[in-house]
Amino acid sequence: MSLWRTLFRIPWHIIVLSLLLVAIGAMALYSASEGSWQPWAGRHAMRGAFGVGVVLVMAFVDFKILHRLSYFMLIAAIAVLVALLVIGSGPNVARWISIGGVSFQPSEPAKIAIILALARYFDSQPQDRMQSLIVYLPAIGMIAIPFLLVMKQPDLGTALMLLLGGLSVLFAAGLPWRYVGGAVIAALVAMPVLWSQLHAYQKSRVMTFLNPESDVLGAGYQIIQSKIALGSGGLFGKGFLMGSQSQLDYLPEKQTDFVFTMIGEEFGLVGNLFILALYLALSLSILRVSFLVRSRFSQLTCMGLSMMLFFYVFVNVAMVSGMLPVVGAPLPLISYGGTSMLTVFIGLGIVTSILIHDRQED
Amino acid sequence: MRRGKEKDLRRVMSRRGFILAGATVSMTGFLAARLYYLQVAQTSRYRRLSDRNQFDVRVVPPVRGRLFDRKMRLVAGNAESFELRITPLYADNLQETLKLLATIVDLPELRQAYVLDMAKTLPSFREIMVRDDLSQRELARLAVRSALLPGVSFGKSLRRIYPQGALTCHITGYVSPVTQREIEKDETLEIMPTLGTGKTGVELVFERNLRGFPGREKIEVNATGRPIKVLSDVPSAAGNDLRLSIDIGVQLHAAERLRRGRWDTVELGSHEVQAALAQDAELQAHLAVGDNMILRDGNDRLVPAESGAAVVMDIHSGEVISLVSAPMFDPNLFTGRLLNRDWRRLNEHPRRPLLNRVTSGLYAPGSTFKMVVGLAALEAGVISENTEFFCKGERELGTSVFHCWRKGGHGVMNIVSALEQSCDVYFYEIALKTGIQKIRDMALRLGLGAATGVNLPDEKSGIIPNHEWKLATKGSVWTPGETVVASIGQGYVLTTPMQLAVMTARIANGSKAVAPSLLSKSADASSDFAPLNISESALAIIRRGMFKVLHGAAGTANKYKLSKDYGGMAGKTGTVQVRRISLAQREKGIVKNIDRPWAERDHALFVAYAPIKNPRYAISVVVEHGGSGSSTAAPVARDILAKTIAERGVT
Repeated sequence: MSLWRTLFRIPWHIIVLSLLLVAIGAMALYSASEGSWQPWAGRHAMRGAFGVGVVLVMAFVDFKILHRLSYFMLIAAIAVLVALLVIGSGPNVARWISIGGVSFQPSEPAKIAIILALARYFDSQPQDRMQSLIVYLPAIGMIAIPFLLVMKQPDLGTALMLLLGGLSVLFAAGLPWRYVGGAVIAALVAMPVLWSQLHAYQKSRVMTFLNPESDVLGAGYQIIQSKIALGSGGLFGKGFLMGSQSQLDYLPEKQTDFVFTMIGEEFGLVGNLFILALYLALSLSILRVSFLVRSRFSQLTCMGLSMMLFFYVFVNVAMVSGMLPVVGAPLPLISYGGTSMLTVFIGLGIVTSILIHDRQED
Repeated sequence: MRRGKEKDLRRVMSRRGFILAGATVSMTGFLAARLYYLQVAQTSRYRRLSDRNQFDVRVVPPVRGRLFDRKMRLVAGNAESFELRITPLYADNLQETLKLLATIVDLPELRQAYVLDMAKTLPSFREIMVRDDLSQRELARLAVRSALLPGVSFGKSLRRIYPQGALTCHITGYVSPVTQREIEKDETLEIMPTLGTGKTGVELVFERNLRGFPGREKIEVNATGRPIKVLSDVPSAAGNDLRLSIDIGVQLHAAERLRRGRWDTVELGSHEVQAALAQDAELQAHLAVGDNMILRDGNDRLVPAESGAAVVMDIHSGEVISLVSAPMFDPNLFTGRLLNRDWRRLNEHPRRPLLNRVTSGLYAPGSTFKMVVGLAALEAGVISENTEFFCKGERELGTSVFHCWRKGGHGVMNIVSALEQSCDVYFYEIALKTGIQKIRDMALRLGLGAATGVNLPDEKSGIIPNHEWKLATKGSVWTPGETVVASIGQGYVLTTPMQLAVMTARIANGSKAVAPSLLSKSADASSDFAPLNISESALAIIRRGMFKVLHGAAGTANKYKLSKDYGGMAGKTGTVQVRRISLAQREKGIVKNIDRPWAERDHALFVAYAPIKNPRYAISVVVEHGGSGSSTAAPVARDILAKTIAERGVT
């Protein structure tokens, strides 16, 4: 495939959407540090530029390599997660791994690995067996093992994302409705078991979510302050750098999980809806790719990545607006954090590669 | 077949893709709805909460106006006191820190519990006041340990002090912390929690003038409570300073002199006093409220200082030069945390130190009322200066017999000699001729029977009875016998020492219905009073009688003349029975006052003005259960007047 043809086929609207989100992120982080490119905004913008570079490079990589490597990647990811649990980097929280001075969270590539592995698995299954439960059991195992490992770290937010992303691939692969219904019931039944597995601080977060006013100065503080910041932003916001909740440090974690709140305080409902619209457009654009590609692997990968991205946005926004407990889910491309941003761009790179190398009309 | 399946599955997956897209769109819509609810529907509520976060409105309490005596000596002022505060956010463990604090400074468990309670309701970055009355020593002890006490800080505030202590207690009254009832009446008090309000005395009466207006500081604060910038600043307006008419020099003398009565003080430290103290509950109660004057009475017993009232006023301007009510109390006890122990001691003290006897103590005026009766009779034309009656020691009226205080009688009396010797029978006679109504009218014109309007709260109006009064309160008709009893200031008649001073001042002034005031006045303020409208010749006769009380050969107080150096004085004694004397007792010979229990002894009263020519000051003295007006009250009044003239002069 010629260079020009490849460049022509690159889904530029996806890249523009992602760059817009990165730019919004940089602006928000500039405000979060009281009007300074240090320490977050500058690095965020550079990472964004690097991410786009990754996408462009991946556009020239044939997706078949991903197909071939997918199982290995999942096994490698699981191995690293296990290793992380055994050695650990912090006293209680074992999320980070450091190679050659660069720290990253191995749970991030695991998300993509799961989707790729599931896509390959379903791609390999004969069509006529798709109605039977047996086909889905190994897939459930592929989700469950990394899910439990990440839960153990403990990182409830990421574990939830692995689960939702994996399940959406299962659903997209054609999981019969009766099993969908069964899964919902099973989830409800599993809830108490899961609850007992949660750490004390996770339980308190959930309890606080259910009634934030019970603990105004403790765990409920974040939710209450976030709602105050959002609500006081009103329709048009208090203006750039003018969000009193954020600028006066009432808002916790404003550069990561609560960045959406900060934008909402300074730019109001209008700013927030604009961002939601960008995410919706990005998710639907990726989802649309699944209609354009040939292999089942490609279709499922795109669907899974699209849904994973959307779930991140949904959980984050629902969390900061007080509709879900605070579980620790960043806002893709806007929240500060190198690993999560790179993961998103790798996902976009995979989508690009698939679109270029597996289009139906070829 | 296989192709069909393949197509089938593609259809299924496409359908699933659309379902996912639909789910994405609807979930986004759901988020948008939630955001609309927060940011549009509920925005005013959250904006308010945000403002409450962002801005801290601090009320700057005003500096309370000070009180000075007429020579600008401080009577009530504001002293800096140190506050101990704690910020829960910075304290590692609030409970432990409080426990540690309690080992360094006085910090009762109750207060610790209060702080813990506050910490639960306030944001953790807000300072909580732990103590507002740290002593210098406590401050020093805390300062050296401050490294061990994270979250503990200090601040300064003002608190009311009364440098004269008990001496001016019934004049100043006191300031104490705002009560819930006051907040209900005036909600602006709620935001000034450290500011006390006047509860009694001048502090209460002039509360509005003294309080001033609070300032406001709107401060932007960050999440840790650190001020970022002051946004608006309305300075507080200090209350007005007041210059009182009181002269501390006279006041000090009057307080000492009244409480000494007719006895001598004893050294507190002596072995004898300590021994007496150990077993005498009355003496203990006395010392416990801070009164350290102990007297040796005529029977060589150790007794507490006398209780009673003395008030000196300027007969022209109405300015009150001295106002003493004994026993006294220390108003500084009330300005901070009033200890239960102190409150109990003050409240349970048998002689009620919190009562201001000058304006709220009611006493039968006794013979000091005779000027009223004499003036009423003279004005009514019932008698003239030369009208005489014969005193045989008693007066029959119907079946009753009314005695004169002198058993053998006074013989032939006119109005002047009857005042001089305080002959009861003479006043029985003229009162019966004048009638109670005219006596009452005269009493009211002289300032009795109604509050004098001096600037003190809870002033009593006393009772000057007449026919209607008796009908209304007792439901029966007035009898001539009651006129007889009233003519010597007993029976239903009740007055306050303040009223008696006003009465004396009006008699001495002669032309103006002078009224008392606790505020210092400029020299030309004397003409504001209404005319008295009592015949000058009648007043001259009464004043001659009062002169004779001290200067006549048979004057009841002629042993207690005021030295000519001060211009001499004219006055009237009053000895008030607090118990009826039965016929049997009278025949046996009346038991001497000093041999009766304290509470059954007569009240000793004396009213006077000085100097005799061009009078300037009027005084009334009441020594509760002090014996006779002449031997106890007259010398007290004489000495206080001497001091007043020495301090103030007569022009």
